Amino acid sequence: MPMEKKSTKDMKEMTKAERRAVQERQRAEKAARTVGGTTTKKGSQGSATSVVDNTSIFTHQEYSFTPSDSKHKEKQQKESKKESSKQVALFSHLEIAKGANTSLDIHPAVLVIGLQFAEFKICGANARCIATLTAFKKVIQDYKTPEGTTLSRHLPTHLSPQIKYLVNSRPMSVGMGNAIRHLKLEISTMDIDLADDDAKRLLCEKIDNFIRDRITFADRVIVDYGLQKIQDGDVILTYARSSVVQALLLEARAKGIRFKVIVVDSRPRLEGKRLLRRLVDAGISCTYAFLHAVGFALKDVSKVFLGAHAFMSNGALYSRVGTAMVAMMAKEKNIPVIVCCETYKFTERVQLDSFVMNEQGNPEEMVNVSTTSTPKAGLLDGWLHKPDLKLLNLLYDLTPSKYITTVITEVGMIPCTSVPVILREYK
Amino acid sequence: MSMPIAAIESLVELIKHSKATTLSEFMESLKDASQKLKTSVRNSISLSAGADLFLRFVTRTSHDVTNFEACKVHLINSGKVLVEKATAVRHKIAEIGVQFIKDDATILIHSYSRVVMLLLQQAAARKKRFKVYVTESRPTSLGVQSTKILRKAGIPATVILDTAVGYIIDKVDAVFVGAEGVVENGGLINAIGTYQVAVVAKAANKPLYAVIESYKFVRLFPLNQYDLPTHTPDLLTFPDLESPRYLSNNDESEDDVENFEASNPTVDYTPPDYITLLCTDLGVLTPSG
Repeated sequence: MPMEKKSTKDMKEMTKAERRAVQERQRAEKAARTVGGTTTKKGSQGSATSVVDNTSIFTHQEYSFTPSDSKHKEKQQKESKKESSKQVALFSHLEIAKGANTSLDIHPAVLVIGLQFAEFKICGANARCIATLTAFKKVIQDYKTPEGTTLSRHLPTHLSPQIKYLVNSRPMSVGMGNAIRHLKLEISTMDIDLADDDAKRLLCEKIDNFIRDRITFADRVIVDYGLQKIQDGDVILTYARSSVVQALLLEARAKGIRFKVIVVDSRPRLEGKRLLRRLVDAGISCTYAFLHAVGFALKDVSKVFLGAHAFMSNGALYSRVGTAMVAMMAKEKNIPVIVCCETYKFTERVQLDSFVMNEQGNPEEMVNVSTTSTPKAGLLDGWLHKPDLKLLNLLYDLTPSKYITTVITEVGMIPCTSVPVILREYK
Repeated sequence: MSMPIAAIESLVELIKHSKATTLSEFMESLKDASQKLKTSVRNSISLSAGADLFLRFVTRTSHDVTNFEACKVHLINSGKVLVEKATAVRHKIAEIGVQFIKDDATILIHSYSRVVMLLLQQAAARKKRFKVYVTESRPTSLGVQSTKILRKAGIPATVILDTAVGYIIDKVDAVFVGAEGVVENGGLINAIGTYQVAVVAKAANKPLYAVIESYKFVRLFPLNQYDLPTHTPDLLTFPDLESPRYLSNNDESEDDVENFEASNPTVDYTPPDYITLLCTDLGVLTPSG
């Protein structure tokens, strides 16, 4: 087939994950050909260019991906066995994301962000949520309601494989879940008599509104509230990197407030470095320290500002691993702990510890001990071949509500025990 | 009369004499006036609670009334009702709070608060027998005034020094305080010294009840003592020992008392962790609610 030849030609230029994606797509196509017989031509066209007219295929396939050659299957089984023995037992219920795997009917825009999520190119709850919604907007724009169904009935079934694909590439964040639930609600309440184009336009508008009201504007309001709490002479400590905290600190600097910042960071992600660069570029006097030095770093700190991944309805904060330690240390020293969080990240779930729900990152990340962009393998190199060595790379942890002084949201400054109140009001 | 009620009354008076013709002009003048009120006194916390409450009320009613004159009359009337209710509210709180005073109890109160006074008088009227320690509460010495009122009501009361709270706390069964304002996280803003009384009470495992009218809820979220609108940084600075003023006045004979009294704060902030219950006209609340 000419198309496949072309793609193999480009192989060298692609990254590893992209190459894998292409391979897997081809394999899936092959599978589809054997199953669907007559739809072969349509399928290969559809996956490459648009998602519009391949609806007939995924009714056959049911999105399940069956590798065609048995050799590969065997290898996979072996790998998974090896992997499971390398999992820390307490966390065996948490899946390590295996990276994006593709099936036929994924929209290109979703494909792209899926890969970016899997490789942590797009990282951070807000960035991921905005990327997802923008991609779904494109999906909706390219969507045509098939004959005999209505948009409000059929569009959700069209979206669900896309969502599944995104979840496969990396577990969904709470904010994304809330946003998608909101989108689905909007779709299901669409007027049936509305013309397709109008409905699509309306939906896109609704998505834009969500991004604007609950994320972009919310951030601006949070920054305004936060500014009230930064005074001349303050020393502010922050952990890792949060987009809102970054915006707040830059705005405070722009307002001419004189303050210092201590950026606390941790391996293996070293996300604080990006924040540090932005702050130093803006002319804020900064100190950079690793998490194990937090006890010492807190000596002169007057306030701690933290970002959030999610807020549980029992007032617990779910955020980048290490946050709980920072909050506890600050509380111990009677330093106010201020969390900046948009209300779309609030969830009705209750969580009491970091074990029940969490995300495991790739343990390979821990092998790299380099602090620059060129990787350098440390002592952990070759850990896979050491039978008794297991690595655990958790991405999040849970901070109990008693360690948090206040939460700054777009509806004002609230104690974190008021999270359920806000949730109730949004209902 | 308490500050928030005075603020509401003065705003009602303003409405009566207002010549504003449009709603926005009217709102503007009200906002100006409340701002002026707030800046005119050194400690504006309870005052701003009243002014903000009334302004919020005005905004709400002005939305559903179309006739401007009728709206004004309505506002004046409801303002009056609000003022009249203030005393009734206090009685209601006293009614609710009485249950916290057990027979043969020893109670510690701080400074002077109308609603705490009323509560204790109510309790005495119900033939409860109890004794009261009152902190002197420098520099206003309002504690002395409280003691006089209590004795007149037939309640045995003793003034103690602010520094003696730790000494008597073991003899105390419960602590009652009033408040200038209740902030959003359930903390209190009250006459200076409340915080240290609360800390001592907590350390001795004695309950501390805050008795307040619901119109004193303020939209503030202080993180610590220095995060209050009344905060002035003078107290936190230290004298420059090398300055000529200090060198010339070395024996420190009269580093005038008024001087350091003036630089001391009049209110402090008590975090919600130190408060057992809030006793309000809306019922008995936990600080987090």
